[in-house]
This record gives sequence, structure tokens and C-alpha cells, in this order.
Amino acid sequence: MAKLLIVEDEKHQRELYAMEFEDEGYEVDQAVNGKEAVDLVKNNKYDLVIMDIRMPEMDGIEALGKILSRDKKIPIIIYTAYSNYKSNFMTWTADAYVTKSSNLGEIKDKVREILASRT
Amino acid sequence: MKSSVFRSLILLISDAILAFILFYFYFRFHIIGADILDYLIGIVVVFIIARGLLFFIGSAFFYRRKINAIREVIAEFKKGKFIQPNSIPVVYNEFDEILKELITVGRHLESIVSSQKKEIDSFIELYNGIIFSMTSYFIVLGEDERVLFANDGFYKKFQFQRDEIYNKKIDDIFYFVNARLKGGIAQVKLSGKTVVLEKTHLLTLNKVSIIADIKISNIVVKESNQIIIIIDDVTKKLRNDYQISLMSQISESIQKDDEIERVLFTILTGVTSGAGLGFNRAMLFLVEDAYLAGKMAVGPDSFEEAIEIWTAASSDVRSATEIVPDEIKAGINLFNRVLNARYSLIKNSSIFIRSVMKKETIHVYDMWHDDRVNQDIRELMDVKEFLIVPLIVVNRAIGLIVADNKFNNAPIGKESSELLSIFAAQAAMSIESYTNLDTLRNEMQKLSERQEAIVESEKFAAVGRIAAHMAHEIRNPLVTMGGYARRIMQLPKEKSKTSKKIDDSAEIILKECERLEKTLSNVMDFSRPSKFIKEFNNMNDIISDTVSLLKNTFQEKKLKVELDFGTDIPLVKSDFNQMKQVMLNLLQNSIDATPTGGSISVKTESDGDAICIILRDTGCGFAEEDPNAVFEPFYSTKVSGVGLGLAIVKKIIKDHDGSIKARNRNRGGAEFAIRLPIPG
Repeated sequence: MAKLLIVEDEKHQRELYAMEFEDEGYEVDQAVNGKEAVDLVKNNKYDLVIMDIRMPEMDGIEALGKILSRDKKIPIIIYTAYSNYKSNFMTWTADAYVTKSSNLGEIKDKVREILASRT
Repeated sequence: MKSSVFRSLILLISDAILAFILFYFYFRFHIIGADILDYLIGIVVVFIIARGLLFFIGSAFFYRRKINAIREVIAEFKKGKFIQPNSIPVVYNEFDEILKELITVGRHLESIVSSQKKEIDSFIELYNGIIFSMTSYFIVLGEDERVLFANDGFYKKFQFQRDEIYNKKIDDIFYFVNARLKGGIAQVKLSGKTVVLEKTHLLTLNKVSIIADIKISNIVVKESNQIIIIIDDVTKKLRNDYQISLMSQISESIQKDDEIERVLFTILTGVTSGAGLGFNRAMLFLVEDAYLAGKMAVGPDSFEEAIEIWTAASSDVRSATEIVPDEIKAGINLFNRVLNARYSLIKNSSIFIRSVMKKETIHVYDMWHDDRVNQDIRELMDVKEFLIVPLIVVNRAIGLIVADNKFNNAPIGKESSELLSIFAAQAAMSIESYTNLDTLRNEMQKLSERQEAIVESEKFAAVGRIAAHMAHEIRNPLVTMGGYARRIMQLPKEKSKTSKKIDDSAEIILKECERLEKTLSNVMDFSRPSKFIKEFNNMNDIISDTVSLLKNTFQEKKLKVELDFGTDIPLVKSDFNQMKQVMLNLLQNSIDATPTGGSISVKTESDGDAICIILRDTGCGFAEEDPNAVFEPFYSTKVSGVGLGLAIVKKIIKDHDGSIKARNRNRGGAEFAIRLPIPG
């Protein structure tokens, strides 16, 4: 089963995503900011990272750069409430950019799609 | 005493001679013996008669001679000659005495007369001296208003021969006598008081013109009223005053933000005004790119017009320049001809170009026989003599002034020529500083407009950023809330009333979350533009300004921009900045919707009632059934942005009583059509 890393600073949101994706049958790890995410990716193997952008200590953009500089192949989905980060070229390096919604259908579809294309 | 002795002696001798002759005849003819007494008596009688006769004849001769001498003297006296050539006679008798006295009286008179004549001569000398030392010219008119006298100065100044104006009427001396002079004379005749007419323009029949202070007085000579007119030539003084005031007027005119035409007109008025340089006509040409172009002309078209101007306009310093260029009726032909004149600096070798190129003043004395003047300029000038003076600023000719005396044919003197050169130098500086100021002003204007536009777009961008930030801050908790509500609903339920209620509540929470999220994907609010200033604007200018503002964006996306501006687009009463915002938002929208390498076109046209602005792009067009939905607030298909751009556009257009419509183009892409009413 595919292993996901969810990076999100807001506890309830992070736990919601974790529950939802576990319900879908994925193995889920959680990180509260970019820094923790970079550390986790260093020591574990993930099939996909779902990354928030605005976070304390290290934001998603920086973490994205650090993760990709270590492992270019790992798929990353930017998942944020901000739509205007699309103009930041760093986000172009991510595999997808999904705007947050209470309906998790879109992000779930995206994850499925990307993982399907990788196998 | 001596004379009487001499006279007695003569009588004695004559008597003796007579007695001798009688006695000789008596004795010669032997009358002795006869009645001697009778004879003696006879002789005595004859003697007495003879002596009487002799005496009578002698006295008659004597008297005639003496009386003639006296008559001669009196006749000489009558002629005014008091000194006689003959010397004082020796006095033998009373006649001599009278003659002597007459001569003496004559000499005395002569001495009196000659001493007085000297006095009179010195008076005349003094009088002439005073008159000659005066700069005034004067003429004396008799009761019938005909000229009795004019002083030398008058003859010289107005170039008349001495006998040329004697007994002529004043109308026959001056080409036109303005109402002031005639009225002045009438007033003096009526009241007997002196009248002073200041700064009056006079032009004589032989076309000498001056500006003068005229003093008219009445004098009574031999019981007849005579009028003395004293003319003080103030032309020079006035010109000096005028030149100073003119320069200040020109600089004032520049500072007052007047149009260049007004500045040029002020300059040329200085050249033609009687108080100025006093030329009949003046024309001004300026260098524009590779051409010398006619810009302004001042001067009458005909001699009649010239007189009209000279009579009507008082020669006051200010009045001449207070005429607005639009009000010039006289000289419209000249003005138009000069305005149409255009000479290439490169190809043309005319005398004008030569003056500009060599930066030299050219005095053409006889145009018709001057080879340097070509046909073009002959036709334009149509005058024998004229002067070309270049306008030089720091070793560079920016144009030239051409002046002539077409109507009074006065020769252009060295003094006039030098004055015009000095004047031209000052005028050149004025024009140059005006041009510099104008350029600077335009640049400043553009800069401040650009700055305003940047500030404005920056403001909107800031609003967008704040809105986006707010959306994020609200969306995050909404996502959490909605997510958990959805989870509640997905939990496996027992079929109880309680679980049904929980389910329903969760569903309500979820619905409300979704609704809020939708609102957030547009955005909350937008700040209204604070000011609304409607003035007449040219939409073409607004569009080109906006396009140039977005130039970089177009280049980045390699978009082709096509502008097709109608030429006779009426001005629209509008708020400049808001209209710019409209174009900015529309263009930005098209830029976002159009893929790289596409094209955007803007067209303006007028249909009489309204101005139409049509903007087309080759972008994705509108997905909706009714493309006009894009004007709804918070509507956006863009992933970025606040969804207000087009709503703002619609609102501004509505505020301008206009309309905007959106539609999909047949071959793809969007089209916006704006109609703005033309003010009736």
C-alpha cells in the first residue's frame, strides 16, 4: 500500500486528512511543518507528499525545494488555501496544485491519479 | 552872418554891373544933351524893372534847387533811408539850414533805427535758437484752418518743401487725421484753452509716420484767431518704454501658461506696433525637424487696412498686445499664407534657409532684382525691400523673423535693422525657454499620470492581496469544519432518531461551509475609487496610455497589440483615471485569457451618438451561456485575482451612462464592446 506524508501545521486539519486517507487505505505519516517533513523524507520512503504552504519555521515552498533537491522523483502535491501561489515558479516544480476545500474529493482524485501514473 | 554879408556883396556887385551897362548905353548913344532928367528917370525905372526881373529869375532858380534837394531827402526818408550820400551843405540861407537839419534828423533817426534793428535781430536769433533747440515741430493754422506757418523742424521731419504746405488744409498734410486731432482743434476753438493729445499716431501724405504728443493752443494775432499745433515726437521714448514692457509681457505670457501662438503673436506685435519697432508687417518662421515652417504673421493685407489699424488702435503701449490673435481680422490672408509656408532645410536653397543656415541677417533692398530671392518667396513677400533676421539661441538658429514696410514704403534704416536683431535675440530666448518649459511640462504631466496609474494599479493589487489573505485565513478553518462534518455524515449509523438528527445537523454545517467557501473563491469587498472628476477626455489617449503601461506584460507573453483609432473621435466627459482603470482591467483580463503569441486589438469609432470601443482577444473566450455574467461581482474563471476586475469595469461604465457587452467571437476569443455617450 502506498505511503503518504501529510505536511500541515493545523492539527485538526492534519488529523482530518490522515483519517480520510487512512480510510482510503493509505499508510499516512504526518509532519507539522516543512522542517519536520524534510527530516522525515530523509529517513523514510514515501510514495507521495501532500504539502501545505503557509507553515511556521519552514514553509512549504522551502521544504519543496529541499525535498526535490534530495529526491527528484518523489511526487508532491501543493495543497493550500491560497490560490495566488500559483504564480510562484517554485510551485511549478510540484506535480499538482490543489486549492483546499472541505470536500476532499479533488485531492483524493489527484493522489490516485498521480500514484496510478507512477506505477 | 557870413552868409548875409556874402549875399549883400553879390547883390552889390550885380547892381554895379547893371548900372554900368545902363550908363554905358546912355553914353554910347549920346543921349547927353537931351532931357537928362527924363533919361535918368527912365534909366532908374529900367534899372528897377531889370533888377526886379533879375532878382526874380535868380531867386526862382535858387529856390527850385534848394527845394529839390529837400524833396530828395524827404523822398529818401520815405524809403526808410535816413543817411544821405551828400554831405551837410554850408549854410548860406534858411533852405540850407532846413536841409542841414533834415540830414541831421535823418542821421539821428538812422542811429535809432539801426540800434533797434540790432535788438530785433538778436531777438530773432534767440527765437530761432529756441525753436531749433526744441525737438518739437509746430504749425500755425489761420482762422480758416489753413497753414500759415510751419517751423524748419516740421519741414525736415515730414519731408515737405517750404512752399508745399502753405495755405493747405490739415487734411491735405496728414494722410488721415484721426478724430482726436480734429476734435482737439474744435475744442480749442470753442474754449480757447490748450488741449493736449498724448501718444497720437500721425501719418503724413508722404508716409512719414510718428507717434506724438500734440499740444493745440489758440492765439489771437491782429484780431484773428490762430491755432498753434506743437507736435512732440515721442516715438523713440515710447519705443524704449515699449521694448522693456514688451519683454516683460512676453515672459509673463510664457509664465501664464499661454499657448505658443499667443507668445509668438506678442513678439510680432512688438515688431509691428508703432510704439515697438514700427514695421508694417512681420512674419515668424520656426525650424521644425527638417523644415522651416511659417508660424505667425502680423500686418495688414492692404493700405486701406493699414490705415484702419493705425486709426483705430491707439498707440498706447499695452493696447496693441491685448488684442487676442483670434480677433485679428485684418491681415488674415497674410496670416494664412505664412501658415502654409514650409521650406525644406535640406533641399531648399532659398534666402530664408540661407539666413537660418548661416545665422546671418539679410537685408534685401530690391527683391525684384535680387537673384538670391526665388519665386516662392517673391510671391509670399510681394514687396521691394525686406529684412530677414534669424532667431539664434546659443549658436543655433531656431527660426527667423521677416519684416518689411510694405505700406508706407519707408526704407529700412540701419537703426531699425539693428533694433530688430537685438529684439530677435531676446525673442529667440523667449521662444526657446517656452519650448523647453512646454516639453518639461508635458513630461511632468506624463510622469505624474503614469505615477497615478501605477499607484492606482498598486492599490488594486494591494486590495487583492489583502482579500486573498483573508480568504486563506477563513478558508482554513472552513476546510477543517466542513471536513469533520462530512466525516460525521460518513460514519456508520444506527437507525435511530438521534443519529438522523446528527446527520442532518452535520449536513447543514457542511452546506454552510461550502457556501462560505464559494463566496471566498470570489472575494469580500473592493474599495470604491474615492474621487470622480469628469472632464473632456480623448479615449484614444487613454487607451494608448494604458497600452504603454502594460507594454512589458505584452512583451513577456509575446502578445501582439493592434490599435485602430478613429480619427475624429469626439471628447467624452469622463473621469480620466477611472477610464484608465477600465482599460487596464479589460486589457489585463485579455492578457490573462490569451495564450502566449496571441493578439489583442482595440478599435475606437464614433457613430454620432456614442463612442464605441471594441476590444478583442484570441483567448479562451467565455464558457458561460451568457457571457455578460462575467460582469457579476466576484465572478472569476481565473485561478488568481479577486474576481472583481470586470465588475469594476461595468460599474465605472454605468457611472458614465455607458454600456458594456461581452460576447464570444466566431473564431474564438472574447470581445468587449463599450459605448460611451457623446455629450449633446
